[in-house]
Amino acid sequence: MKNKLSLKYVGFFLMLAILVLLPFVNDSRTLIILLTQIFIFGILAMSYDILLGYTGIVSFGHAMFFGIGAYTSAVMLKQLEPTLSTFLISIVVGILLAGFISFLVGLLTLRLKSHFFAMLTLAFSGLFLVVAEKWRSVTYGNDGFTFRAPEIFRDRMTFYFFVLACLVVIFLALYRFVNSPTGRILIAVRENEQRTKSLGYNTLHYKVIASIVAGTVASLAGSLYAVSLRFVNTSVMTMDITLDALLMTIIGGVGTLVGPLLGSAVIEYAQHALSGLARDYPIFERWIIFFGILYILAVIFFPKGIIGSLRLMFWKWRLKHKEKDQTSVGPSQEKERFE
Amino acid sequence: MELFVNLVINGLATGMLIFLLAAGLTLIFGLMDVLNFAHGGLFVWGAYAGIFTYVFTESFLIGIVGAVLTGALLGLITEKLIITPVYGNHIQQILITLGLMLVLQELIKVVFGPNGVAVKTPSYLTGSWEIGDVIIIKYRVFIIVVGFIIFGIFQYMLKKTKIGLVVRAGVQDKEMAQALGIHIKRVFLYVFMVGAALAALSGMLMAPYSGVIYAEMGMEYAILGFIVVVIGGMGSFSGSLLAAILVGLAGSFMAYYVPVLSLAVNMILMAVVLIFRPQGLFAMRKERST
Repeated sequence: MKNKLSLKYVGFFLMLAILVLLPFVNDSRTLIILLTQIFIFGILAMSYDILLGYTGIVSFGHAMFFGIGAYTSAVMLKQLEPTLSTFLISIVVGILLAGFISFLVGLLTLRLKSHFFAMLTLAFSGLFLVVAEKWRSVTYGNDGFTFRAPEIFRDRMTFYFFVLACLVVIFLALYRFVNSPTGRILIAVRENEQRTKSLGYNTLHYKVIASIVAGTVASLAGSLYAVSLRFVNTSVMTMDITLDALLMTIIGGVGTLVGPLLGSAVIEYAQHALSGLARDYPIFERWIIFFGILYILAVIFFPKGIIGSLRLMFWKWRLKHKEKDQTSVGPSQEKERFE
Repeated sequence: MELFVNLVINGLATGMLIFLLAAGLTLIFGLMDVLNFAHGGLFVWGAYAGIFTYVFTESFLIGIVGAVLTGALLGLITEKLIITPVYGNHIQQILITLGLMLVLQELIKVVFGPNGVAVKTPSYLTGSWEIGDVIIIKYRVFIIVVGFIIFGIFQYMLKKTKIGLVVRAGVQDKEMAQALGIHIKRVFLYVFMVGAALAALSGMLMAPYSGVIYAEMGMEYAILGFIVVVIGGMGSFSGSLLAAILVGLAGSFMAYYVPVLSLAVNMILMAVVLIFRPQGLFAMRKERST
């Protein structure tokens, strides 16, 4: 156990060191922008996994919180002075707003069964999309608007480090969260809600907490996304954003935090690479079709995604390995390992 | 007066199209306990395949047949490949049918191109009648008539025939129907195919009504279909007709009087129904354990 833990730390710091040093080794603009994009969507996908992977609820309205963050930052930076402090305040405002709305929506909808919840979140995010489209005096509708980013983020490199820092902080915070007693109860809700209820936990309460955590983190991702583009329009509220988060989580691995990050890297990179190929082969313009098929196959054959499947293989291998050493492995021990 | 009649006819026509879409959804849900998020994909494939056949053969009727056959065929493939592996697991069903929706929608763009296709109404259905000072557009009446005919046929089949009895028994209690010797998996397959065919028919009829078809229309109308299924009560066939007419009328009146709200009114309607009466406005007396 001790050994495994230190392995995790080594991996974490190694990855962090690579990502910090990378811009100094290779400062190509496209690479920096691509990585920034990967980090932002990684944050979004991690927040989505709190719902899908840890609590076991499918929300189709995640774009709503992403959009709230994006619009809050964009509107504040446009209406007020585009300084760093405005941006930081706008992040906080976005988080508070998203937290409040996810609390309300969660309280109203999380009592319902999965089907109804999925549809109702779809409807709520549809409502927000309509608001963003119709409230033209602030959002400029479908055309969107450009705004000036804080002076310090003009340099792509600074912004890259800022987003990386956000990613690390969010990753560690969520890691703490899912391993906290509350996080354990969320997993219990996913495994068997009825039983968790009969153990005396108010599951609605915990599901609302999960929804608030996911909503606020998604809002942060939205704020970062808006500043990375220096432009915002209604596309941040559309179903496509939710679908992206869903794809990243499923392909990377549900129920892990590294999985969504990996999924974000795979999908963003593939999107980047395939859109390059599309100039020669028009079929690659419809790159999403490959992901759709991949996604269907993943749901049928690898419901645990890349990380989950690897982890399962690793445990199986280790179990086999151990059996050779010590012939008897008690069922209780075995169960502990799979967690 | 003229305005009122037109708004009613408009609302009824839209309502009928949504009803055709929702009827399949609600039957599939009631019987199989599967919420098919790919229904909009079947709808849009029906529209494109039907219009393709229509343009090719220059006969609107053959176009409709083409759409229905495409829908049934896609339904067969979907049930066998996509739905069968995930029976009983709601979360996987939601995820996988949404994935299929994505693939169907993108395939449309690959096969027929990403831009919308303009559609002409067949000559014998274009134009309008003038009764007094009220102008009634023929095609809208045609949709309403077709909708009511289909509702009549299905209502008769469900209530009066052996097949309908089997389906109703399956909706009420799957295990019991199975114990009485009914091959329930086969019934699932047929119901899924019929639902898909209805969705395709709805798409085909929608095409001349809206005048243009595009790949994203699947998702747009599927959302309306879900709303209708929720308002009407999951698994309730006649409930979905009433709910569809309600949604259609609400949409057409709102679009005229309060255009800002026209997109939101149905979503608000659904949210209110789901929060206060999750079993649906017109649900059967029987408590469903879903």
